[in-house]
Amino acid sequence: MHGCPHSARRVLSGGRLAAGVLVVSALFVVSSGAVEVFLDATRGSIQKIPIAVFPFQEGLPLNGQDPLEVLKADLRRSLLFDVADLDKLGIKVAGNAAPDDESIRKAGEAGWAVQVWGAILPRDEDAVMEGTLYDYSRKEQVGGKRYVGSPAVVRHMAHRFADELVFHFTGEQGIARSRIAYVSEKNGGKDLFVMDYDGYNPRQVTFDAFLNLAPSWSPDKQRLVFVAYGAGKDPQIHELDLTTGRRRAIVTLPGLNITPDWAPNGEELAFTTTKDGNAEIYKVNKTGKGLERLTNHWGADLAPTWSPTGREIAFTSDRGGTPQIYLMSADGTNLHPLTYRDRHGSYNTAAAWSPKGNWIAYVCRDDRRQLKLCVISPDGQQWRQVTTGNSNDESPSWSADGRHVAFSSTRNGKRDIYMINVDGTGLERLTANGTFNDDPAWSLP
Amino acid sequence: MMIGEGKSLYWIGIAGLVGLLAMGGCAKKSVVATTSGVEVAPPKVKPDTGPDGPLGGLSKSPKDEAVKGPPMMVAKADQAEIDARKAREAAQKQLADIYFAFDKWALTDDGKKNLTQSAEALKQVPKVKLLIEGHCDERGSREYNLVLGEKRAKETERFLLGLGIQNQVMVTSFGKERPVCNEHDESCYWKNRRAHLVLEDAK
Repeated sequence: MHGCPHSARRVLSGGRLAAGVLVVSALFVVSSGAVEVFLDATRGSIQKIPIAVFPFQEGLPLNGQDPLEVLKADLRRSLLFDVADLDKLGIKVAGNAAPDDESIRKAGEAGWAVQVWGAILPRDEDAVMEGTLYDYSRKEQVGGKRYVGSPAVVRHMAHRFADELVFHFTGEQGIARSRIAYVSEKNGGKDLFVMDYDGYNPRQVTFDAFLNLAPSWSPDKQRLVFVAYGAGKDPQIHELDLTTGRRRAIVTLPGLNITPDWAPNGEELAFTTTKDGNAEIYKVNKTGKGLERLTNHWGADLAPTWSPTGREIAFTSDRGGTPQIYLMSADGTNLHPLTYRDRHGSYNTAAAWSPKGNWIAYVCRDDRRQLKLCVISPDGQQWRQVTTGNSNDESPSWSADGRHVAFSSTRNGKRDIYMINVDGTGLERLTANGTFNDDPAWSLP
Repeated sequence: MMIGEGKSLYWIGIAGLVGLLAMGGCAKKSVVATTSGVEVAPPKVKPDTGPDGPLGGLSKSPKDEAVKGPPMMVAKADQAEIDARKAREAAQKQLADIYFAFDKWALTDDGKKNLTQSAEALKQVPKVKLLIEGHCDERGSREYNLVLGEKRAKETERFLLGLGIQNQVMVTSFGKERPVCNEHDESCYWKNRRAHLVLEDAK
């Protein structure tokens, strides 16, 4: 059975259900922890909003772009919608036309009150995509969008419409417009690339043909910082502005300068440098000034990741003998371990703090000494292994909605980039081309 | 290892969903969890200023909205730097790599023997700069291996300086990013756990 059409109906009516909304909102505030529980509860369809997406009317050649499939895949990945299988419902929509009344009625009576359709039509040199949201229970068009742009960006229009639907129902920004920066092997070197979050439209953005690593997005997703190796030079932290192509060095200290992580306010970077002889964590403002040391220990402290509030930092340290995840305040005080060798294993590194704050993903090691992804709550109360199988999994990076993790894995032989839901379901491969794809960094929407 | 997901959580989940949905039509304020359990708003970030701007919301009579797609300028490499690197890499191969045990940075007896020979060669060219690169096999994590590789390079530097070489020495680490061998077993792992000595071009 499908889900709860009443909830969906409430949403469609928006603020007009004043009394009911008040009661429910109060409950929401009191048990606000429940939100994360919901966001984690990705199994089953009962909590999801049933939605029927009818085929798009297509009035121009799309060169292999399939906006209907893009939209449906985006809605499924949001984990907020239960997308109807129209074939199973016995609904055959005539190709290249808006859905007929009979199809709308059939889907509506089967419980899919929330319905979406669209059209893609030519206008001069442009493509126009119209999307419509319809509420069968009220027999009313709720709203729509009309996008105009180059026929080459039709996928992007579908992503944008998916995010508008997510925004309409939840107030969240969605993840369909987000992108993933990553490292790929090309011409004998490793350079930075950026692709859509679903693996489409990969594009090379650095051309050093040597070694660039560890991209991290600015919160406004216009810039990347990354580790750049140069001829005979220590690895430095560089910034690349994706809107201008301008590149500049931010951290050029003697020694290794690695693992940059952009603070959520966009003003600072945390990173690791070995300028003091061993690896320590520092922060610096985005212009490269105001260097401030955060750790001070003979063990290696590395790979900082900011909490979404910017108040705390998780990182890796081997000060206890094995690499483990530690937490500290963003000024370096209140330093304490989060993972322990006896409880969480002897090798825990590469922490990534969820933008929702409720999980920290990291690289753990299983019984066969293979690297896997684990998640732990920042209070240490909950933890679990997310990936399984015969593979080495690395470099976790969160989606903005805190429900997915991108990572790299050797599970199909060579290293490629995948995404997975935080509960271990929904594994999806994002790269297949090339010899080596690694180090994903997921942008905000 | 899975955390429990009991029935109560399930109903809390439903309540959470209803609450979340109920917020759909209201003003939204996103919150995040913290270690103290108190929820706070994340810092204000300048909204998406890309060509397409922020989401506008659905409308019953939608207006045209221009979509350009994301910007994507590229950064060209410094050609002089690439040329210098290639020349340096091609420079000479007479200095033998030395190898390390898994997860270790201590020199082996064989390693010390090879370095003693390399030191004799280095003493013939005391004015040439020496770069020592530390490398790792693929089994450690990416970030941690960068640090491990540097420890190997520094251990190598310490031993060579102890033998009295006069060359200016630089150390760096490539972690597991520049393997010489790509099989996923010990036949390759041992070759990748190495310190590699490179002479700078004498300019």
